[in-house]
Amino acid sequence: MSFSSAKYVLRETLSSVKRNPWLSIASVMTVMVSLIILGFSAFFLANTSNMAQSFESQVEISAFVHTNVPETQVEALETKIKAMPGVASVVLVTKKEGLAQFGQSLGKAGGNLVSDLGGTNPLPDKFTIKAADPRRVKTLAAQLQQFTELKSVRYGQGVVDRLLQFTRWLRWMGAGVIIAFGAAAVVLISINIKMNVFSRRREIQIMKLVGASNWFIRWPFLVEGLFLGLAGGILATVLVGTGYNWLAGYVSSTLAFLPVVRSAWLFWQVQTTLLVLGMVIGAAGSALSLRKFLNV
Amino acid sequence: MIQLTNVSKIYPNGAKALVDVSLRIGKGEFVFLVGPSGAGKSTLIRLLYREEHPSRGLVSFNGQNLVRMKEREVPFLRRKIGVIFQDFKLLPRKTVRENVGFALEVLGLQRHEVEVRAEKALELVGLTKKLKAFPHELSGGEQQRVCVARAIVNDPALLMADEPTGNLDPDTSWEIMDLLHNINKKGTTVVMATHAKDIVDQMKKRVVAIEQGRIARDDEKGGYGYEL
Ligand SMILES: Nc1ncnc2c1ncn2[C@@H]1O[C@H](COP(=O)(O)OP(=O)(O)OP(=O)(O)O)[C@@H](O)[C@H]1O
Ligand SMILES: [Mg+2]
Repeated sequence: MSFSSAKYVLRETLSSVKRNPWLSIASVMTVMVSLIILGFSAFFLANTSNMAQSFESQVEISAFVHTNVPETQVEALETKIKAMPGVASVVLVTKKEGLAQFGQSLGKAGGNLVSDLGGTNPLPDKFTIKAADPRRVKTLAAQLQQFTELKSVRYGQGVVDRLLQFTRWLRWMGAGVIIAFGAAAVVLISINIKMNVFSRRREIQIMKLVGASNWFIRWPFLVEGLFLGLAGGILATVLVGTGYNWLAGYVSSTLAFLPVVRSAWLFWQVQTTLLVLGMVIGAAGSALSLRKFLNV
Repeated sequence: MIQLTNVSKIYPNGAKALVDVSLRIGKGEFVFLVGPSGAGKSTLIRLLYREEHPSRGLVSFNGQNLVRMKEREVPFLRRKIGVIFQDFKLLPRKTVRENVGFALEVLGLQRHEVEVRAEKALELVGLTKKLKAFPHELSGGEQQRVCVARAIVNDPALLMADEPTGNLDPDTSWEIMDLLHNINKKGTTVVMATHAKDIVDQMKKRVVAIEQGRIARDDEKGGYGYEL
């Protein structure tokens, strides 16, 4: 494309926007609304999956060692458990540590406590085990039960099943929301573009009859779509950004138990995606809907 | 320059617009197409700038076979042909000057040259006062003259005029005819479909009469030949 035709394209784009302000505004608004919907859905998805993850990460197995097992054997057992497939972390809380913690919770020094309890420490050594995949907690617990050194293995039977059901539902909902609203956004934008191009069908036909090539007609449309999409993208970015910040602040101050994602990385990712998506939707939308009108 | 060989055109709805038409028009000629309404004059013109394809037969322009012409070559054909459309076909969202200039924009000319030449063409049709008006702000005759200006602005090798005086008063009609006559004298081939008896009778040019899609008469220096 030569320099003078590049200037022509820009002039065309500007004058088209200037002469059809309402159509342009409608396009910008459509892109904006669609992207706002998508942006919030993305944040919703990020939060539901984060919430699911944080609930699941609280699932752990407690395994108690028989009190008569010597210390060396306990340490050997720790290495064995660590080596089991599907185990993410193992933390050993020895009898002494357990007692100290117990004492602290009672507000007393550990030394006195032992004598208060008659000179012996009644607490067992305890392993706290996290599974790499919380859904495998049940099988892992069953495997741990095989160790004769272990007296009992607990993982909140019953509760975990229901929790996992809940987190699975959370994840599906996040994905469902983004798919449903994504589809709505696509419909919204394609209706708008169809209207735009349809209203110019006759113009396109005339341009071709006067000797314009397809690209000569396409360029101004593409650039216009790109600019309007970008404008919608910028507006959406600003609104989604401030909206989410406010909402996240509000939720974490009033519903403190809900884990809200406030990572700059996620924020940056969603925002750039919205901007790029705006431009792509604008340009590609015009290009696609032009296709069938160019065969004159 | 133009050669139609056994051309028939049947529209998708079954209307037989042209039936087995053969016609030769040489470079530099001035030809009137006459005939009753619905005879097929506009259809013949449409075949030449390839808005329509013939159903049968061969259409060629400057030795190029228009039936076989590739889609991406069509814009180049149309840039060599100026067309004064029966229904004007002006771009509604462009001013008069931009409409005329558009035929030059597609050639990739500089903006300045586009404007200068567009204004010159508009001067020839007597519309210098309406440069910045939009088509809907013009009378029918004014719109028609914008269309004339656009058709001649890029000095086409062939000028096809589909009733270019249909909306004009007799004086303006004759001004347009003088314009077409001058362009023809400079070497442009002119094909003009018209119902204007007095114009055809006075100009003493070649007259091709079409009736029900067939060529009924082809006279050098002929007259309109139909009683109104
Ligand atoms: N796009 C079309 N689709 C279907 N039929 C058409 C179409 N255009 C023209 N026709 C038919 O083809 C025939 C010839 O039409 P055409 O426009 O060529 O006539 P014309 O000689 O230019 O008439 P007029 O003097 O009224 O302009 C007519 O019967 C018309 O109804
Ligand atoms: Mg006609």
